[in-house]
This record gives sequence, C-alpha cells and structure tokens, in this order.
Amino acid sequence: MNFRKFLQEERVRSLPLKEPAVVDSHTLVRAAIAAMRTKSLGCAVILGPQQQPLGVFTEHAVVGLLEKSVPLDSTAVSACADPEFHVVKLDDPIAKVWSAVQSGARFVCVVDDQQQLVGLTGQRGLAEFVCECFAREIAVQRLSSPQMKTREGA
Amino acid sequence: MNDFLAHDPDKFEDPLANFDPKEYESSLQEALVERTVGQIPPQPAQRISPTDTVRDAVQKMAQGNLASLLVVDQQGCVIGIFTERDVLDNVAEQYERVADHAISEVMTADPAVVYDSDPSAAAIASIAVAGHRHVPVLGVGGSLIGTLEPRHVFAFMEKYFDK
Repeated sequence: MNFRKFLQEERVRSLPLKEPAVVDSHTLVRAAIAAMRTKSLGCAVILGPQQQPLGVFTEHAVVGLLEKSVPLDSTAVSACADPEFHVVKLDDPIAKVWSAVQSGARFVCVVDDQQQLVGLTGQRGLAEFVCECFAREIAVQRLSSPQMKTREGA
Repeated sequence: MNDFLAHDPDKFEDPLANFDPKEYESSLQEALVERTVGQIPPQPAQRISPTDTVRDAVQKMAQGNLASLLVVDQQGCVIGIFTERDVLDNVAEQYERVADHAISEVMTADPAVVYDSDPSAAAIASIAVAGHRHVPVLGVGGSLIGTLEPRHVFAFMEKYFDK
C-alpha cells in the first residue's frame, strides 16, 4: 500500500471526527474553558451566525493568558483565537488534514458543503486513523510507565 | 555416548530451515515494526522539578512556547508530565489559588513512556490508543532522551510513504 496515495484517495469523512466544543465570538474565556473541559477537548471552535467556523480558541492560548494574568471573566475568546486555523470539507482527501497538521496545526475544523461545522479532527484523529490502518502493527504494542521495574519482552 | 552425540550429522534436519522472515506489504508497515523509536528524532526534553511551582511551569511553557514539561526528580527519573491539558483541567479555572503550589500536585503522575528500543509503532500506540500527545522517550536504564509528539511520528512515517 502506498500510504501517500491512500491518503489522497480516502476522504475526511473516514476520519474519527470529534463533536466540537462550540462558542460564539463574545463568549468569555472562562466559559470557553468550561466547554472544552466538558468535552475533554483542547479547543473550542468559535462559530458565526450561520454556524460557520470563525476561529479556534485552544488550550495553548490558555497558558499564555494565565502567564500574562489576563482576566478570564472579562476577556472574549475572539481576542485570543489561534491564528493557525484550518478548515476542510467532508469530501476533501485526508491528505489535506495531514498537510495541515504537518504545517503546525493541531486542530482542523470539518465543514459540510454549506460551510457549517460538522466535526473536529487533527493530530489525534490522524493518529487514530493510522492506528486503524496498521492495527496489526500498532494496536498490539505494550504501553509502559517509567515506574515499571521490569518490562516483559524488552 | 548420549543421544545427542550419537545423532548422525548427515541426518540432522535444521528445525528453522523452513523459517521465512516476515514479509511486509509496504516499507511503511515494515518501518513501524522493524524500526525503533530511537530512529524518530524527538524534541529535547524540557524538565522541571516536582517542587517548582505551578506559576514557574506556566511561565516556562508560555515563554518557551512549550506544550509540555517533564517532571524529573533528583535521581533523574521521570515522575510526571505537565501539559497544556493539565493546565486546562487542573489549573486554569483556579490559577490564583494554585499558582504557588508545587507542580507535583497538578501534574499527571507516572505517564506512559516509550523506550528507544521499542518498535516505532509503540510511539503511535501511545498517542492513538493511550491518548497521550506528549510521550517521553527513555533510553537504557531509564535515561531521559526527549519527548515525541504526533508531528515527529508523522514526519518519520512520511519517509516511508513512497517506498
């Protein structure tokens, strides 16, 4: 299997898409953080009035806000949206997501033909897709912890 | 004379004579099994002491544009990891209250690791199966080598896409 060709042939809809945490541009940072925690996601997608993505607010931005002591209760997410903002369509090739991730994006918004947000993918989604494609090689791996004194099969 | 020495060498049959090495459908599949984690260039390890404060960690991450810090004890052992997700889940909503607490109180203890001798597939398993975006890489004896992120693993895979 030529994996590059495979990524060109497979569509984004084949990826395991996550249900995104969504906010609007006026949502305060503290509320966005709560939405991200509820969904166990590292970002919240900022949506416009037609449900189209306008940007993403990420946990990476949260670190910067804390460091600068920015008040979470009076700052809107739109003021600290991530400039690395990528959108793909359901029928785009997965290769487009791969390129976005390798250019530095962690999250990629997935939209339908009306540009409305339908899901979220990115680094994790690609890793899960790779794992499905090579399940016999990847899913059988034993995971280790540094506290393990002996490791079977090492 | 025991039975082994009494065996006629001319009649000896090598039990491995019919052994066929595993055949792979692609170079990428082979690389995932036969290449090791040590062949994936990691990010240099960014360390912090378990007694450093949450504020120290947040400052180090923000100023260094880092997504994770490895919490390393005085013996050089990795005892935890502090990532952006820990900031989100354990720190952000109560930052002023926990800012001067030790990082060991809010880190993820005993993180999953990979060893540089593990198959490269182990790094993807840690990310895709265990759900860790930052995976410490340890060498012989538990020495800390660095941290792998998805982009490192994907870049490694790309080398075998067209072969």
